[in-house]
Formats: sequence, C-alpha cells, structure tokens
Amino acid sequence: MSTGGSNARVVVAGFPAATAPASSDSGVIGWGRRVLADVNPNRYVVLIAFLLIFAFFAITQRDHGFLTSTNLINIGRFAAPIAVMAVGMTFALAAAEIDLSLIAVVGLSSLVAAKVVESNGLVIAALAALAVGATIGLVNGMLSVKLRIPSFLVTLGMTGIIGGVARSVNDLKSLPISDEDFQTVFGGKLGPVSSLLVWSAVALALGWVAFAKLRFGRHVLSVGANRPAAKMVGIRTDRVRIGVLLIGSIAAAFAGVMLAARSGVGKHDILADNELLSVIAAVVIGGTSMFGGRASVAGAVVGAVTISMMTNGLTLAGLSVNNQMIARGVIIVAAVAISSREKKEA
Amino acid sequence: MKHTKHQSGRVLLGAVLALGLLAASCGSDEEATSGSAATSAAPAASDASATETAVTGTATSDDPAATADPVTVGPAGETATASSEIVLTDAELATVNEGGFTAALLWHTEGAFVTAVSNGVHAVFDKLGIEIVAETSAGFDATKQASDVATVMALDPDIIVTLVVDPDAGAEALEPAVDAGVKLVLLSNVPTGYVHGTDYVGLATDDLAGMGIAAADLLGESLGGSGKVGYIFHDAAYYVTNQRDAAFKARLAQMYPGIEIVAEEGMAAPARAEEIASAMLTTNPEVTGIYTPWSDGPADGVLAALRAADRSDVKLVTMDLSDNASLDLAMGGNVVGIAADEAFELGRTLATEGAYGVLDKETPPFVVVPAIAVTRTNLVEAYERSLDSEPPAAVTEALGG
Repeated sequence: MSTGGSNARVVVAGFPAATAPASSDSGVIGWGRRVLADVNPNRYVVLIAFLLIFAFFAITQRDHGFLTSTNLINIGRFAAPIAVMAVGMTFALAAAEIDLSLIAVVGLSSLVAAKVVESNGLVIAALAALAVGATIGLVNGMLSVKLRIPSFLVTLGMTGIIGGVARSVNDLKSLPISDEDFQTVFGGKLGPVSSLLVWSAVALALGWVAFAKLRFGRHVLSVGANRPAAKMVGIRTDRVRIGVLLIGSIAAAFAGVMLAARSGVGKHDILADNELLSVIAAVVIGGTSMFGGRASVAGAVVGAVTISMMTNGLTLAGLSVNNQMIARGVIIVAAVAISSREKKEA
Repeated sequence: MKHTKHQSGRVLLGAVLALGLLAASCGSDEEATSGSAATSAAPAASDASATETAVTGTATSDDPAATADPVTVGPAGETATASSEIVLTDAELATVNEGGFTAALLWHTEGAFVTAVSNGVHAVFDKLGIEIVAETSAGFDATKQASDVATVMALDPDIIVTLVVDPDAGAEALEPAVDAGVKLVLLSNVPTGYVHGTDYVGLATDDLAGMGIAAADLLGESLGGSGKVGYIFHDAAYYVTNQRDAAFKARLAQMYPGIEIVAEEGMAAPARAEEIASAMLTTNPEVTGIYTPWSDGPADGVLAALRAADRSDVKLVTMDLSDNASLDLAMGGNVVGIAADEAFELGRTLATEGAYGVLDKETPPFVVVPAIAVTRTNLVEAYERSLDSEPPAAVTEALGG
C-alpha cells in the first residue's frame, strides 16, 4: 500500500459512512449537512448490490429453498467469519495498510484453539488463539514500521511463515474438537440465535465504536488520508499503523476460533486462500477506500453478507465450480471497481 | 458530467451483475442439483499416463448401465497383481543386504498417507540394509520435484521411489536418473512415455476401484438399499480422487437400484464443503445419504453442515482415515463407514519392488494394494493396517476402549 493517499476528505465509520470530525461544521447546521451528505446514493453501492443479488436469487432460486429461514441463516453463518475479518481489515485499509496474512492466521488460530480447548476449556482456548493473532499482528506492525517495509510485503512474507507453522502443528491433518461448549459458544446456537451472528454483531459494534467514538479511529483515518499531515499534527502514526495490523490479526484469529467451533475441527486450511479476496472485496464494496482515509465498518459487514449470499445462490443454482468462480469473480471485481470509482468521484 | 458518470456507473454495475447472474441461470440448466437425477458430467478423465479405473466391457466407469464391477487396471490395460505376491525369498534378502544399496524417496506431498507409505518403505529398506540417503516432499509442485530429483542425483542413489506430480514434467525430470541406471519405482503415476521394465521397474497403487466399491457398499447397506443420496465429488483433474469417485458412482448405480443420486456437486476447495452440503440439504431435504471424496476437510465440512441442520439421520461415507471422521464413526454419528487404503502395505510393496530392481528380478507391470471397508467394528484394526498407527485416544475412548 501507499504511505497514505491524498484524500482530502476524511470519512469515518458507520453505514453509510459519515463525515469525519475534520470538518469545521458544528451544531445543528453541521449535523444537517453531514446527514445530507450521508444520503448521497453513491455510498449505497453495497446496498444496491445486496438488494439486486437478493432479488435475483429470491426469484430464480425460490424453488430451491433460497428464501427458507434455514438458508437465510446459513448465509449469515457463512458470512460471519468473513465479516469479522472484514471489520479488522477495515482498520488496515482505512490507514492505507493491508494485511495479506489473514488466511494463514485463521488456520493457525483454529489449530491453537483446537489444541488448547481439550485440556484448558473454551475461555483459555479462545484467549490463546487471540494471543497468537496479537503476536502475529504485532510482529507485522513492528516489521513494517521499524524496518520501513510496506505492510503488503511484510504480511505476504509472514503468510509463508505462519502457513508453514500451521501445517506442522498437526501434520496437515484436521484436529477434532470434542468440547461441545466451545462449539456452542463460538459456532453453534445461543438459544435460538446463531452464536456466529452474535459474534459478528459484537465485532461490528466494536468497530463502529472505535471509528465513531474513539480518538484512535479518527487517527486511523487521518493517517490513511495523509500520513505526513497526520504526523505534523502530533498523531503517533507508527503506533496507529502497528495498531491497525494488530487489530486485523486479532480479528482473523477470532475468525479462526469461530470456524473451528463451526466445523468442529482446527485445520491449517480451514479457510480457502481465495477467501482473502472475499474479505478485501467486502471491505471495499462496503465503502472503505483501498487508499486509506475512508472507512465503513457496517458496509464491510453488509459486503461480507452480500458475498456469502452470492456464493450461496450460485451453489443453489447448481453452477459448476468453474462457472461459480467466473460468476463470483466478475461480480466482485465489477462491484469493487464501481464502488471505488464512485468514491473517487464523491 | 459527474452526474452522468454516476449514472453510467450504476448502469454498468447492473449490467455486470446481470451478466454474472445470467451465467448462474445458464449453468443451472445443465448441472442442476435438485429435483431430478443428477445429470452433470463425471469428474475429469484421469491422466492418460496414469492407471485407470474401468468398468469391464465399457469405456467409462460411471455408466449406470454397466453390469460389471469397476476394476483398477494399469496404464496399458494391464491386469492388477495383488501386492501380497510381491515378496522376497530369504536368499534374495541376503543378497540385497550384502549389496550396500542406497535409495531416495521423492514424495509429491506430506501428510498421514505419505507418512504411512514412507513408514512401509523404511521398514523394508531397514530390513534389507538399504540406506535412505534423501527423502523429499514436492508440495504438489512439479518444478520443486524436478529440483528434488536433480539434488538427490548428486547422492547417486541406486533406487528412487516416487510419486510424480506431473507425468510430463516428471518424465523430463527423471530422465537423468533413468539414464544413470537408477531403479525407478513408481507410486500411482507413470511419467509420460515411460515403459515398464525399461524405464521403471515397478508401479504400485491403491485399489482405487476397490475403494469406490467399498464406499458404495458401506452407504448402500447402511441405507438398506433404498434412499436418496447426495454425491459430492472432487472437481479437479486429479487421478486418484477421480477414479475413486467414478467407481463409487458406478457401483452404487449397479448394485443399489433403489438408491438415487438426487444431488451432485463438485468441490474444488475442501474448505467449501460445508457450504456445498448446506446448500444440498436446503435444496434436497429428502437426502438421507451423502458421499464425500475424502475425509480430512470435506467430510469435516459435511459433518458441520449436518450438525447445523440437525440432520443426525443422514448417513455419511467417505474415503481415507482421518481423526475427525473416525471419531464421528466411533461415536455412532453420521459417519457410517470409511473406505481406506493400506498405505503402509503400499510402502512395503514399493520398497520390495525396488529390491526386485537391484536384483534384476522381473516385477509384475502393475500392482495394487487392497482397500479396506472401515466400520465402527474394525476401526482400530483399520488404523493399524492403513496408517500403521493406533487411533487417537479420543477415538479409542469413544469405542469404549
């Protein structure tokens, strides 16, 4: 990634993205202007895509059970880990950084959770997985900042290291999880509600609070929009850059916990490598700039659900794997391209 | 101007979405998963240089009209010889021991299967006094394997045991070894243009058709000969899984007319198995049996989908022993059977064929090791026969051991 884009307009989280506090407007008039800015339809690309895709499959796949409650819940369940990762990736992209090691972190954390839970219970298992994520995120951040290596290069290299470690943890094999509490809390049902959806909502809430209410969120956007300027006004840009990679990695580690609980195993390739595209696409379609300075956590979550729904619909439609890949790729690339273009124009 | 751009952007978005979704609707006509008997094509044909599974008397192994069992035949249609026939006499054993031979093992990847095969090779070579000077893994990378060949040739081995990742690239890579007179023993794949007895001394593989038959029988019997089944196959041109999948399908059609495959889905990435199975259950709730091409990954995903859908009634069969599927089988869950190979025996066979090579003893052109139909009853024994190991403690406990 670049060292910060030239976006003069800093926008923060929420759905739709809201104007940053960099604006000098205040009071009712300023609030009104911001609200009007927020209803700009160009920021609703993800919603348009969501509604279009939903409507298409609701019509064409109705007879195949697309609209059944079970299927709609499944769409949410499969979107949940991607959504959590997308929330984490939103921080990195908003700060004009990127983390390509997320999928490897997911695999390793799922194995760590699976190993630890059998002897130490679900809380320690989850914490151990998060600790792994935090350590990797810290290493990513420190290497990028201290050695002045772009984050995409650092995290690309770390992908190999983490992946190699994950492959050796259980000799490439699945590691079964027999702890039912772990499976219920992180991947099953809490009462009538899927815990996966609950954890996604928690991630969404935390991300929203960070961007909308905390100074850290504003600093992330400022660093992403213009790092030299952010430094000049006293923002500790190095800390912010390390912080966003830390958050991204922790989110990925938690996604690994969710996946391990959902599938009942830890495995180095529990999430396919190409799901990194889903994560980035979800974030960008959702309204976050690839070049920093703009973020929408809620948009990222809706983006994740949209991509999950697309995959689900294409599968229900009986497409071959090859055709699914083509259709999915076309739609994602187009949506990202149009989303990015409209944001530049906005 | 700006307004125009926005409009055109939306039009473009709509058009592209429509294009992608149109592709969905077009594809669904030919490869529908629901309602009727599946019509999609069988997995990609096997590599021409590899051994093949065929239904006697027909060209393909998944012809529902076939009347004979699928059988595993060699690259040129050779009849398979059972691995139990590959043995050394005491005199031959002594001769090899005095030879001071060396060997290199060039595997295609790592994992439980390769570990068990390797253990089998090591056991025999230890007994024969053959020193293993190198053991490599190519990670399914033909270029890496070519590099491995070049590297081990510097160690001047007498025997190379290998599974070539790519038959064309492997033919090129192994040429220096063949020219140097190294005794080449092949697992499953034959390098393009290589001739038995001239370029390589032996070829051994799993009884892939036997595994498909075993899986079909396990599912057919658990369903009592009738029911509706979902078939998840490996959607890749990968010889081993293609042959096993095809044999399963052929056997099911042939022996269990009361069982109908109503949903058929290809799977390229194991991580997507859960989504595929969930969609299958949504579209075809009447399914009471599912087949997955292997256990470690795909069966895990299907088990997760069944758990989420509260479908404890669905019977699952799969291939190859894995800890999670074995645990489910031991606990009396969805998994009713696993078709496994005898990987350790495969290693023993390969190593013995290597000894045949240094003794200039003629080998059969094509050798197969038997398949095992694994149920809860023989699970412990199957681990020993297949992987040369005990089951994990959790499995033993679930069996009441």
